[in-house]
Amino acid sequence: MKSNRNIWSLLKRNISKGQLAGYILSNIVGLTVVLAGIMFYVDSNSGGEDDDQFFSRDYIVLSKKVEGLGFKPAVFSQADIAKLERQPWAKRVGEFTSSQFAVKGSLSMGGREMSSYMFFESVPDDFFDVKPQEWAFDPEDGFVPIIVSKDYLALYNFGFAMPQGLPQVSEELVGMVPIKLQLAGAAHCPETFNAAIVGFSSRLNTIAVPQEFMDWANARYAGAGDNPDPSRLIVQVDRLAGADIDAYLQAEGIEAAGDQSSQGNISKFLSTASVVVTTNGLLISVLAVFILILSIFLLLQKSKGKIRSLMLLGYSPREISSYYERIVISVNLIVTIVAVAAAVIFRRVWAEPLSEIGLGGASALPIAISALAYLLIVTAINIVVIRRYVMKIWNNG
Amino acid sequence: MIEKIEINRLLPLVFKGMEDTERIRASQIWEQPSFVFEKGCKICIQAESGWGKSSLLSFIYGNRGDYSGSIAFDSVDIRALGVKRWCEIRTSSIALLPQEMRLFPELTVIQNISVKNDLTGHKTPAEIDDLLHRLGIADKKEAMARNLSIGQQQRVAIVRAVCQPFDFIFLDEPVSHLDEANNRIVAQIVEEEAERQSAGIVSTSVGNHLLLSNPKFVSL
Repeated sequence: MKSNRNIWSLLKRNISKGQLAGYILSNIVGLTVVLAGIMFYVDSNSGGEDDDQFFSRDYIVLSKKVEGLGFKPAVFSQADIAKLERQPWAKRVGEFTSSQFAVKGSLSMGGREMSSYMFFESVPDDFFDVKPQEWAFDPEDGFVPIIVSKDYLALYNFGFAMPQGLPQVSEELVGMVPIKLQLAGAAHCPETFNAAIVGFSSRLNTIAVPQEFMDWANARYAGAGDNPDPSRLIVQVDRLAGADIDAYLQAEGIEAAGDQSSQGNISKFLSTASVVVTTNGLLISVLAVFILILSIFLLLQKSKGKIRSLMLLGYSPREISSYYERIVISVNLIVTIVAVAAAVIFRRVWAEPLSEIGLGGASALPIAISALAYLLIVTAINIVVIRRYVMKIWNNG
Repeated sequence: MIEKIEINRLLPLVFKGMEDTERIRASQIWEQPSFVFEKGCKICIQAESGWGKSSLLSFIYGNRGDYSGSIAFDSVDIRALGVKRWCEIRTSSIALLPQEMRLFPELTVIQNISVKNDLTGHKTPAEIDDLLHRLGIADKKEAMARNLSIGQQQRVAIVRAVCQPFDFIFLDEPVSHLDEANNRIVAQIVEEEAERQSAGIVSTSVGNHLLLSNPKFVSL
């Protein structure tokens, strides 16, 4: 539709700059808060999946309830695992493999040798929260890397060493202690390996060895084909489905271990915070849109005489509406662009703290989509309001 | 193109209940079974003020609908016309000079005229200048409409009214604030424009009527 400079200067006169500025300002604030809230939500829900700094918030370790004395082993059948994998909240399921052979570990400190029978477990490498460089096994090499729970070290340092007057040890120091392992089983005569504790996990409450070592050793010492059902599973879960998970576990008689509750609390807090922020932003935006609609009404009301005169000269309601539509489109475009820019700037505030716990760095696509949706919806509402009111003037309303 | 405008038993709703009074019975238009404006007519409608002249023109122009009876353009009842058709009629079939003129006070004389002429593209800038010149307001071309006298405003409104092709031109008290000399110039301009398009002229007045040559007088 062609633009007429005279009409433009005629209709422009009734625009209240104060009202328009008020709308722009309040809507920029509202939309910025909405977008920042969405951005924060997206960021706090994403983390580098292949990152060493894997944040152990999304994992639970499951085991079956042991009833009575438990002669029948409490293990997960393949059917149990398949059913678990079908749950919408279960993103990945990993099986714990137990050692099927005897392990005797010994270490010598200051000429004194200590030894103990022990056991190993393994899970696929993806499920570890730490991944030390030495985390690999080669039979030629004969070195077995071990990861133990952080809790074990804490237990020793704070529960045992302090009251006994023994020295406390650091993770680095523990890593330097050489360990000798003697492995034996029905299928092979005993052999000795060098080993060392190469890392501490806050997710896995066990003594873990690489999966490749476990598979190799189980086959060598316990005999091939001896691959029992796992008694423990590690599951990456969708944190938003907390209630569903609880209900499922209860129904299936499964126990969840690990510090899922406290991790859940952190994520729940982050999610709740972003929902509260987004809701507030939406409220401000809705009010701002009401201001704009009210301003449009006032503007059209003030211009009613002129609009009627133009209609008597032969201007169509659609043509007259188009001038007002251009105003709201420009205004909404400005609001959207400024709000997106502001939200991106705000992102810097939380980017660093979030990245420290392994989160953030999500794509800005959801923000772009939300901003575009806002622009389209609000502009459409404005245009409908304008056209209806101008039509009302045509009908002598 | 509109050849004739037929009016049947037309009466403003405010006159409802007065159908049997002497005044209505004396009217040549109100409540008459059939009154027709033919293309090429030259009519002066005379009436006392408050007797519905402006209402009649508003009804015909589709600007108001508070009447009983019917108005038809070439047998099509105007109540059935849509927005698009009305916009066509107002830019190419019927020209109107409202009594209150409806100029935009915040625009200049030429801007006021352009608002119409931009829509129709009917007159060249030179033709507009010529009309302003003949009406003696060429020097006011860039003046704000609000700074003009009523008589000057009437002349601007007349120029604007003829900035479109038309089959009928309705003029509501076009010369109420003009002297006889200007009245003759306005009549001359309107007749020239109408003759060129074989259009009808309908002018109203309460006394000072437009000095058309051989008009038919009708009393409302």
